Amino acid sequence: MLVIALCKGRFLEPSLDLLMQAGIRFPEDLASSRKLIFNSDDQRFRAVLVKPADVPTYVEYGAADAGIAGRDVVLESGADVLQPLDLKFGYCKIAVAGINGQAEEKPRVSEVEQNCDPHPARLQMTRPLPEGERDSKPTIRVATKYPHITMDYYNARGIPVEIIPLSGSIELAPLIGLADRIVDLVETGRTLKDNGLEIVEVITDSSARLLINRAGYQTKRDEVLRLIQALEKVIR
Amino acid sequence: MSAASYAQIPPGTQIVIGRAARRRRVLERTICSVFEGWSYEEIIPPIFDYYDVFVKGMGTGPEEQIYRFIDREGNILALRPEFTSLVAKTVATRLASSPKPIRLYYSGEVLRFEKPKGGRQREFAQIGIEHYGASGKTADVEILLIAVETFQRLGIQAFQINLGSVDFFGGIVDRMELPADRIAELKDVLNVKDRSGLEALLERLPLGDRRKKILRAVPHLTGGKAVIAEARELVRNPRSVEALDHLEEIYSIFQRLDLAQHLTIDLGEIRGFDYYSGILFRAYVRDLGFEVASGGRYDGLSGAFGEDLPAVGFSFSVDRLEQIVTPEIAEVEAASIDVDDGFDEALQLRRSGKAVRLCL
Repeated sequence: MLVIALCKGRFLEPSLDLLMQAGIRFPEDLASSRKLIFNSDDQRFRAVLVKPADVPTYVEYGAADAGIAGRDVVLESGADVLQPLDLKFGYCKIAVAGINGQAEEKPRVSEVEQNCDPHPARLQMTRPLPEGERDSKPTIRVATKYPHITMDYYNARGIPVEIIPLSGSIELAPLIGLADRIVDLVETGRTLKDNGLEIVEVITDSSARLLINRAGYQTKRDEVLRLIQALEKVIR
Repeated sequence: MSAASYAQIPPGTQIVIGRAARRRRVLERTICSVFEGWSYEEIIPPIFDYYDVFVKGMGTGPEEQIYRFIDREGNILALRPEFTSLVAKTVATRLASSPKPIRLYYSGEVLRFEKPKGGRQREFAQIGIEHYGASGKTADVEILLIAVETFQRLGIQAFQINLGSVDFFGGIVDRMELPADRIAELKDVLNVKDRSGLEALLERLPLGDRRKKILRAVPHLTGGKAVIAEARELVRNPRSVEALDHLEEIYSIFQRLDLAQHLTIDLGEIRGFDYYSGILFRAYVRDLGFEVASGGRYDGLSGAFGEDLPAVGFSFSVDRLEQIVTPEIAEVEAASIDVDDGFDEALQLRRSGKAVRLCL
């Protein structure tokens, strides 16, 4: 039996849909129940429901053989796991944002995106800093849910930053003077816009990924490969 | 440090006491006896050496994991983060004129400044072998067989040794003439078998369709002997082809010895210290999320210390083995002795080899 770690929250429904299309059916009450462990109808899989940020950890330790989580979460965790499939839902960007117009001579977002590699293999990109960031304060204060990604991004550019870890409502931080910038998930850009913020630079794209434990990939190879192939067939 | 915090131990260290310590010693002893059975002799290297020794051995990257300190003369020293560099240095210097091959084993703690993970702390126990002075498949097979016997002697049946070669992938990228940072990116995506990441990268690389096809196949070249045949269809460069010949020979020997069920050919495995130069392997046990052993060939390593000798070896992680095997420990009956009568009885029992426990 393979154990699959699934995120509670917005990823749960699309994850279950995809698994169902791949012929892996879990009980209907999974999303509404308070239970955390569910077996598939054919007893070949077991789903465990965990917080999104914990999925890579469960998979890295082999407590789950596989998992579904956003690329953002995987990057932030630094977990050493295999990521064979882009499941093509949960699209969003991890971006640096600031208050409208505060980044002088800031290139337009579209230009930034054109220059931006949508799938950097590593975050230590050596692209120059956007124009407006060059003359900023000696130390930039950045509020984020992604302290590691943020640190890697600014370290690669040699910009000293003070990271202010927050766990929600990140957009608030620059508005009330807690931070100069935020690094956060951007789905439609609506929340940023409503709060008078704009993207300074897109750090990377994110979408849902299938994660596989390294040891399990070897010791349970047939089962794992069957899962990968079944999902691959139904990815849009 | 205030007295109140003495209870705290530095993160990543651990204290092993009593039955757990005895179990560990039994485990180590069992493994060492396998090594000794294959004519390996123990080497006890120092716990610290010059920092340069380890940097030379491990290459760039892992060096930030090394605990460094400066002695009174200003030399930069380091606590050993692994044994292989230390053994290489010893073989290339003190043992340079010894008859070859040289077979050595070691057992002890190493220290790395990394996130404690998978039952491995910053200080953890490694136990392994080094085989110097023989290139070719015989020495490779020898160490693989020793790894197999180690698992068997520990009573572990469900283990897998994943065997690859740095020359297979090396031969492929040699031809591509890519800048080092591109190769690093390529390794990053292949390393996690990230298909979409690979596609995005391939779009930006100036490579022909045939080469792209090879790179797309690499992460999935895992399995039995059929994988070697599949790989042969893809590559023509001599370095990769030789690597395949070599792996096939090893696999055939394992088949003949009826051990092939424990061996998986894995050409998509490209991780490891810079010093690896030929075969490369990792061993996994069912239901443990982390590898328990890893090793390979590192022919250039002793040359960095002045004496070029082919070398192959591996190490087991004792801390991870402890999560899956619980060695039997013998309970020793100790006679309780009342000291009010003097120490004579206790001494007598001790002289006859009996255990005693003094009642106070």
